[in-house]
Amino acid sequence: MIKFVGVSKKYKNDIIAVSNINFTIDSGEFVFLVGPSGAGKSTILKLLLREEIPTTGSIFVDKKDITKLKRKEVPYLRRNIGVVFQDFKLLPNKTVYENIAFALQIVEAEPKYIRRRVPMVLSLVGLSDRANSYPQQLSGGEQQRVSIARAIVNEPSILVADEPTGNLDPDTSWEIVKLLSEINKRGTTVIMSTHAKDIVDSMKKRVIALEKGNIVRDEMRGVYGYEA
Amino acid sequence: MRLNTAAYYIREGLTNVRRNRAMTVASITSVTAALLILGLFLIIILNVDSMANQVESQLELKAFINDNYDMSKVTKVGEEIKAISGVKSITFESKKDALNNFKKQLGDKSYLVNGLENDNPMPQSFIVKVTDANMMKQVSEEIKKIDGVTQVSYGQDVVDKLLGIIKIIRIVGLFVILILFIISVVIISNTIKLGVFSRRREINIMKYIGATDWFIRWPFLVEGIVLGLVGSVLAIGILGFIYGYASDLVNNKLIIFTLLPAGVVIRQSLVYFLAIGSLIGALGSGISIKRFLNV
Ligand SMILES: Nc1ncnc2c1ncn2[C@@H]1O[C@H](COP(=O)(O)OP(=O)(O)O)[C@@H](O)[C@H]1O
Ligand SMILES: [Mg+2]
Repeated sequence: MIKFVGVSKKYKNDIIAVSNINFTIDSGEFVFLVGPSGAGKSTILKLLLREEIPTTGSIFVDKKDITKLKRKEVPYLRRNIGVVFQDFKLLPNKTVYENIAFALQIVEAEPKYIRRRVPMVLSLVGLSDRANSYPQQLSGGEQQRVSIARAIVNEPSILVADEPTGNLDPDTSWEIVKLLSEINKRGTTVIMSTHAKDIVDSMKKRVIALEKGNIVRDEMRGVYGYEA
Repeated sequence: MRLNTAAYYIREGLTNVRRNRAMTVASITSVTAALLILGLFLIIILNVDSMANQVESQLELKAFINDNYDMSKVTKVGEEIKAISGVKSITFESKKDALNNFKKQLGDKSYLVNGLENDNPMPQSFIVKVTDANMMKQVSEEIKKIDGVTQVSYGQDVVDKLLGIIKIIRIVGLFVILILFIISVVIISNTIKLGVFSRRREINIMKYIGATDWFIRWPFLVEGIVLGLVGSVLAIGILGFIYGYASDLVNNKLIIFTLLPAGVVIRQSLVYFLAIGSLIGALGSGISIKRFLNV
């Protein structure tokens, strides 16, 4: 469960990125975070990942106020929140397999478990045959699948995706969203920020809409917006 | 820490060393140069210490005893001297012994004192060895207070000056070592900084997927320690080679003191060198990673 309580974030340059944000996301939900560029979507995800600390307010993940975490505790929060970016953030000098295995090495998993787990995740994202390729040998959609595989290999309870389809064509975008939806069906909470109106409108999932740092709409089975 | 995690740290650390070859060579060279000079001073200090020991072991003072004292009274004085703290050993020199020693010193001019045997002008005395050269003054003051002691003498000026010089050399040496230590740390820190900078993307990703600070730090620490160790091993190799030559040369010509043999010096300073090398490396990388980890 994720809960934002009166969260505001003012950056050092005095820009108020989000103000008085309140919402609760239950375990297993699929939520779209929508809004124009600069509305504060990324800021909310960064606050959730504890990349930023709110100026005021509290953020609870599984009942724990993550704004009060010590520096040492932050890695353990992040191991419970998989993250996917618009630009994939894969390591170019590691193969697909190694990129995914790396996330397990970091948590000091047993080599035996790594050898079993990585192929499982690769098959889940449909890339079993590309295990030994390097990221630059893959299409954008395939790279994003790898980054999703890396994000879920640790079996986090939450998956955060910040405009994961921003660099992809519509068809590929659909495949990625379907994959995220598949992961959500297996029990992972998914929060995805996006500009893709078509996708949001036809998925009929919860939509939290932001404008200038404020929540302007929070609807179950929502659509992207009512604009003309 | 799991074994395979430790293996990962070492592998990544060595990859860092290889990846930026030019910087690696440059920093090892600088560290070697700095450690060479540092080692030079370390060796000077080791030698000065041994010199101080040599001086101390040769140091003795002479307590002259009243000419009228007979043997039993003299023995009593001897016991009082022995009881003073800081006194290592005493030897009695009778009037006759003193005259004979004087003759020996005169060598072929000993005829000058012929005929003095019957009216021996030399005083009887105790030759006192002290445990520590710095105790000389204090011990001599104590001895002077004893009844029957007429005079106490030692090479006051020479000893005090020598001890003063040794003290200065040690202070200057330690100061130079400290400065070179700091320079080496800065050199390694700059190299690691470049490495951290070129891997900042990777570090950023590692943080997102939940790597602890130490997981990120270790490979860089390994890199720094490797640089420091290689630098120190090279430095001690070169130093040992040069010092071997120098000590041969000096020991054959120098008069008062002998330089420590090369083998002894290298063996004594090897541990210091390796410790200083790894410490320099660890500090150097520690400093530069600290700043970059705040993501
Ligand atoms: N690190 C930062 N420092 C200063 N201002 C920032 C920073 N990150 C974002 N902002 C500002 O905060 C506002 C919200 O940005 P962001 O959360 O990235 O919006 P979105 O992801 O919806 O496009 C913008 O005005 C942006 O310029
Ligand atoms: Mg954004």
